[in-house]
Amino acid sequence: MHPAPAPYAQCRQGRSSHCKEPFAKKMMSLAARSGAFSPYLQATSYAVAGPLKALIPAVVVKGDNVLVDTKKPFLTPKAGVRFAHTDIKVPDFSDYRRPELLDPNKSSQESSESRKAFSYLVTGATAVVGVYTAKTVAAQFVSSMSASADVLAMSKIEVKLSEIPEGKNMTFKWRGKPLFIRHRSAKEIAAEEAVEMAELRDPQHDKDRVTNPKWIIVIGVCTHLGCVPIANAGDYGGYYCPCHGSHYDASGRIRKGPAPLNLEVPYYEFPDEDTVVVG
Amino acid sequence: MSLAKSVYSLLFKRTSTFAVTIMVGAVFFERVFDQGGDAIFEQLNRGKLWKHIKHQYEKEDE
Repeated sequence: MHPAPAPYAQCRQGRSSHCKEPFAKKMMSLAARSGAFSPYLQATSYAVAGPLKALIPAVVVKGDNVLVDTKKPFLTPKAGVRFAHTDIKVPDFSDYRRPELLDPNKSSQESSESRKAFSYLVTGATAVVGVYTAKTVAAQFVSSMSASADVLAMSKIEVKLSEIPEGKNMTFKWRGKPLFIRHRSAKEIAAEEAVEMAELRDPQHDKDRVTNPKWIIVIGVCTHLGCVPIANAGDYGGYYCPCHGSHYDASGRIRKGPAPLNLEVPYYEFPDEDTVVVG
Repeated sequence: MSLAKSVYSLLFKRTSTFAVTIMVGAVFFERVFDQGGDAIFEQLNRGKLWKHIKHQYEKEDE
């Protein structure tokens, strides 16, 4: 092990060979750090008087000489103290030290891992709580952006299909838009399935637009400029938009007129034979 | 103390394993903390919550 620095008293008398810094050098560095006052401070700190008179003779205060008996336990009863200075009374810090470190004659290396484990445990526990808090706050902000339960409840519509007779179209309000539900006859289904894809502006087979071919469910907003088409009208027997004359067939596909796209099919499912839930 | 030493050398010594320990710990801590908080809340409000009195109203319906 590296020899500990000798107590100051030994250093001053030149008895110890392990002194880190000579006493005079310490005083010189103090004088050198004082800038413009350094010549005056030097004059006071050297035993031999310099040519300059001391500006502030009281700069160096002669402290009480504390005689150190290195054999006796010094100042602190339990923990060790480093004798860097002899003129200050070192308070007893042993209450603040970990019990493994109280004995100055015992190596601290043996207990270092368990001490580090405790330190890192405290750090880790704090970090865990911090991560949890950050996650909760972030989740709060993100979930505030999603729709609330009442909005989600309003976003679905349940329709009893037995109320719609065959060949008829019924309009419902769904998310602020008209929703067309049409009960197609077998003749209409056959006619729509037979349509050539090549003659369609927005080619889409009838099978891709329905779940159950008896029911065609589309959003009743014309894809041209957003008017509401009229059901069972137009050249193709489906929907006809009165604003600019777009003709849709019984599958809601654009056949004639300015509209570029087929009528939009929303997401829907049939929980049982008689009900459809849109949204 | 050997437990503390092995925990230190296995989990805490490397920053990578320390970070993983924190993340995994946070997952478990979240579950324990949330469920513990709910349990305390229900303990304090025993008999006042809907799930405590639900059975009284379900019988009348049937």
